[in-house]
Amino acid sequence: MPLLTACGGKQHGTKHLLIVVNAPFSSTPYLGRAIENGTRLAAAQVNTIGVGVGDEHYSLTVRTMDTGLSPARAVANVRRAVSEGAIAVVDEGTGVDASWRIAAGRGVPICIVFAGGRSLVDAATRPNVFRIAPTDHGIAFRLAEYLIPKRLKVALLHDDSDYGTAGAGELKRAFAGGRESVAIDETLPADALDLAPQILRARRAHATALIVWGRPATIAAAITAARSSGWNVPFYTPPTGADPFVRQQLADHPAWVDGLTFAAGRLTAEVGAQPFTGFVQRYAAAYGVDHVGVHTSAGVPVNEPPETPMYAYDFVNLVAAAVTKAGSTDPAKVTKALEEVTVEGVNGDERAFNHSSHEGVVDDDVYFARFHDMTYAPVKDDPLSATLPAIPQTTQ
Amino acid sequence: MKRLVAAAAFLLAFASASHAAQRIALPSPIAALSGEPPLAGGARTSAENVAHSVSASTKVAVAIDKAGTPFAVTATQRLDVRGVGDYFFTIGAPVFAVRAPADSASVPGMRTGSILWAGFNPGERVLVARATLEPAKAVPALPLRIHVGGGTVTLENATRVTVDTFTADAPRAPLVAYLSLLQGEVENGRTPLQTSVPLSSAPTSVRMAVTAPLHVTGTIGSQRVDLMLGARTRIHGSGRIDLRAEPVRHVDADTTIGGRALLQEAIRTTLTLARANQYGEFLGNPDPSGSSRTVYTYRTASPPHAAPIATVGRVRRTWVETALVVVALAAALAAGGAVWARS
Repeated sequence: MPLLTACGGKQHGTKHLLIVVNAPFSSTPYLGRAIENGTRLAAAQVNTIGVGVGDEHYSLTVRTMDTGLSPARAVANVRRAVSEGAIAVVDEGTGVDASWRIAAGRGVPICIVFAGGRSLVDAATRPNVFRIAPTDHGIAFRLAEYLIPKRLKVALLHDDSDYGTAGAGELKRAFAGGRESVAIDETLPADALDLAPQILRARRAHATALIVWGRPATIAAAITAARSSGWNVPFYTPPTGADPFVRQQLADHPAWVDGLTFAAGRLTAEVGAQPFTGFVQRYAAAYGVDHVGVHTSAGVPVNEPPETPMYAYDFVNLVAAAVTKAGSTDPAKVTKALEEVTVEGVNGDERAFNHSSHEGVVDDDVYFARFHDMTYAPVKDDPLSATLPAIPQTTQ
Repeated sequence: MKRLVAAAAFLLAFASASHAAQRIALPSPIAALSGEPPLAGGARTSAENVAHSVSASTKVAVAIDKAGTPFAVTATQRLDVRGVGDYFFTIGAPVFAVRAPADSASVPGMRTGSILWAGFNPGERVLVARATLEPAKAVPALPLRIHVGGGTVTLENATRVTVDTFTADAPRAPLVAYLSLLQGEVENGRTPLQTSVPLSSAPTSVRMAVTAPLHVTGTIGSQRVDLMLGARTRIHGSGRIDLRAEPVRHVDADTTIGGRALLQEAIRTTLTLARANQYGEFLGNPDPSGSSRTVYTYRTASPPHAAPIATVGRVRRTWVETALVVVALAAALAAGGAVWARS
C-alpha cells in the first residue's frame, strides 16, 4: 500500500490517491496541457464527493511530469511515479514500450490518451496498459472502409516520423483488400518544408485522393504543395489533420483547408451533443477556451473542442469507479477492477475496458469530419458520421 | 426459484379472486420456468436511443468422455442485428475465453460472467462470439445427459422441472380456440401470446412436471439415431457418440377431451412451450422480442490430461569413480598451474 506517502497522507480526515500525468509539456505544450486539464477537471469533480473505500475516504491529487517526447525521460518519470505511490498514470504514449514493465511491477495502470500505435496496448501481454484514444488500426480501417467504395485512386502518403511510419503500416493492412484503389505509396520527409516533388509524383500516378498520415506540419506542407500547384485533390488525414497547427499554417489561404476530411474519435453519441457540450462548458469555466488562432470568414475566432482532455477525463472517472469496485487502493487490484467497470463518458457513450480489450475507443467510434471555413462538421456520406451533430467551434 | 414460487402464488391468488369474474390467466408460453438457461442472467442492452432487432442463434458444443460425462463446453452465438445506431450488449455467460470467428463484423469483449458487444451498427451487422464456458456452471443447464455403460447408451432429457399451477373446470370452446391460435403462431415462427380463459369452478393448486421435448439425431458408433426424447431412452450400442439435440417448439394438444382435462392440457402445452423456448436460448438475446434458437451437439472426445512431470534420473557414482574424478581434477589443476607459471 504505497499510496499515501507522497501525497501528504491524511489531511482533515481525507487521504489522497496520486494520479500522475506523464506528457510532453515542454515539447508540445498544447497536448501536455490538454491531458493535464482533462485529468485535473475529472479529479476535481471526483473530489466533490471523494472515493470511498470501506471506512476510509480518499481524494485524488494530480502531479505532472514532463517527457519532452523523450522515451528515456518518460520511463524515468514512470519509475518516479511508481516509487511515489501513484495509483495510476495518464500517459501521452511516449516510452510506454519500456515504462509499462516498471509500472507493472507494482500493478500500476497506465492509460494512453493520445498515441494510437497497435503494439502499445495488449491486454494479454501488457495487462496494466489501457488506452482511451482512437487506434491507428481503427483510423486506417475506417478510412479504407470509407474511401474504397468511392472508387477513388488513393495516394497513401506518410511522413517518416514514428507516427507516420506506424500509420503507413496500418494503411497498408487496411487497403490490402482493395489494392486496386491505391495509386501510389509515398514516404514524405517529416522535416521538409517543400513537398512539391512527392505531391507531383502522386499526381502523375493519377491519384484522385490523398491520404496524408503524418505530423500536422507534414499535412500542412502537403496541402500547400498541392494547392499552390493548382491541384484541387481531396485530402484525407488521421486526427492530426484537425490539429490547430494545420489551420494556423494555412491561415493565409483558408480556402485550402476547405474540404480537408479527417478521421477521429466521435465526440458525441446518440443521446446528442448535450453531454459533450456540458463538458466543454465545464472545461472552459475551469481553464478557458482553447483558441485555434484562426478566424472564420466572418472574423469570428475559432475554438478547439477539448477532445484529448475528454479521454483523460474519462480515464480518471474509470479509476475512481475501479477503486470503489475493488474496495481497495492497491494499484494491482484497481488495475483488475478497471476491466469490470463502466462509466458514462464525456461523449455520452459507455466508456469501459474488459478482460480481452483494454481499448476504450472501439473502431466503430471513428467518424469523419470535413472542414469548411476553418471549422469542421461530421460528413453525411458515412453511416455513423451522418448521425452525429456538429459541435460549435466559435464563440460569438 | 423464490420468484417462481411467488409468481405461482400470485397467479393462484389472482385466479381465486378472478373466479368470480370467471377468467384466469394461463401460464405464459415464453416465461422461463427456472433460473437457467439462459446462462448467468441472460442478456441485456444499454444502447441509448435505438432498440435493435436481434435474432440469435447459438451452437453449443459439448465434449463428452467415454462415459458420457461432459468435460468441455463451447458456445458460438450469432447475433443478427438490425437497425442503425449504437449498440452495447452484455451477454451473460460463465466465460473462460471468447474470440470472434472470421465472419464476425466486430470483436467481442469479455468480463467476469459476460460477453460484451459495443459499437455502431450501420444497418445490418452480424456479431459472432465463440466462447469457451466454465463446465461446472454450463453443464447443469444443458438439456441432455448421456450415460454410457454395459453396451448401452442412455439419453436422459434434463429439462424436466416441476412447477406450481392450478386446475379447475372450464368451458371447452375458449381453450380449443386458444390452442389453435397457439399452434398457428408456433408454426409460423411468431412469439406466442399469453391469454386468459373463463373458469366454471374455483381453481385449486397442483404441481405439474414439465419437460421440453428434444429432437435428437446423429450417430452412436455406426448406429443412426433420430428420435423425439421425452424423458429418457436406452439405446443398445457403443462407440463414438455424435449427437445433435434441439428443443422442439410444437403444439399438439388433444382437444377432444372435456373441459377440466382440456384446461390441464392447455396449461401443460403452454408450460412445455415455455420450457422449449427457455432451452432455445442457452445464451441470452439482448432483444427481448427477438427470436432465439439453440442447437446442442454432444461428441465423444479425449479429455485433456496433464502432461506427466518429467523425472530426472539421479546419477549415482561408486566411491571408486568419485576418487578417480577427484584425482583427474587435481591433475588438471596442477598441469594448468605449471603452464601458467611458465607463461
